[in-house]
Amino acid sequence: MNFVWSWPVIAFYIIALLTLCCGVIMLSVRKVIYMALTIGGVFIGASALYFLLGADFVGVAQILIYAGAITILIMFAIMLTNHEATEPGFKWSPKNIAAAIGSVLLAVVLLLAIRSTAWPTATTSQTALDGGNSNPMAIGLVMFKGYAIPFELVSILLIVALVGAVILAKERKEDE
Amino acid sequence: MFHYWNPYFLIVLYVVLGIFLPVASIWVIGPILRPNKPSEAKGSTYESGLEPVGDAHVRYNARYYLFALMFVVFDVETLFLYPWAVAFKKLGMFALTEMLIFIVLLVIGLAYAWRKKVLEWT
Repeated sequence: MNFVWSWPVIAFYIIALLTLCCGVIMLSVRKVIYMALTIGGVFIGASALYFLLGADFVGVAQILIYAGAITILIMFAIMLTNHEATEPGFKWSPKNIAAAIGSVLLAVVLLLAIRSTAWPTATTSQTALDGGNSNPMAIGLVMFKGYAIPFELVSILLIVALVGAVILAKERKEDE
Repeated sequence: MFHYWNPYFLIVLYVVLGIFLPVASIWVIGPILRPNKPSEAKGSTYESGLEPVGDAHVRYNARYYLFALMFVVFDVETLFLYPWAVAFKKLGMFALTEMLIFIVLLVIGLAYAWRKKVLEWT
């Protein structure tokens, strides 16, 4: 590995640090609603990483769907339930020690797997933000030419989700 | 469009301004400009002129969750509109038909929800 201190590398370390901080805060706060707030921070950090990788559309999708909609959905789900209870503080119980060892082992295995894999490297002409051949343009061309049927299936999936939500709400109304 | 700068510079500039403006107006410039005469009535929580009762973190009505779910569905739809709109001139009529089928299917879902009266707030 050859490290070059260019601006993207510095930006990566800042964004990664902020994202990791949000993740650690999420695990350390004891109120569920604060956890939902910090997971929004993690999603925004992930989207910043996508922008850094040149995947503009995925970054926008991450902000629009995850940081916007999914965080709100988690918030509402928490506000529906009994969220007043706070979790007890952290203790080094045998279960927690086993979980910590398991997490560290998983991290080591993942790191070894990532380092031993030969990743395809993108040339600069393929990355986004180069004017005419932009990232959403390329995705749009591929999605609507090559993958028309999966795209229509997505609309079926969405309508199933919509109808399912309506039916759940109807059943709840009959209970009252 | 701007081509003589690194495009990421604009994103960084935007983020820096987005952090700087609220911080400056709330903690730096605001305290210099505004008079500071605190009283107990000014410090209390504002709740439309009424005395605030209990905790702000109450349980919500389940109805809100349905609206959040429907928001997710239409948010995903909007996401697909974005690359479609960018690539529209190169795609032509076929993509227009595809998107029309997509939107009509979701409008049917919206009409179903409307018909079942779950959108009404009673």
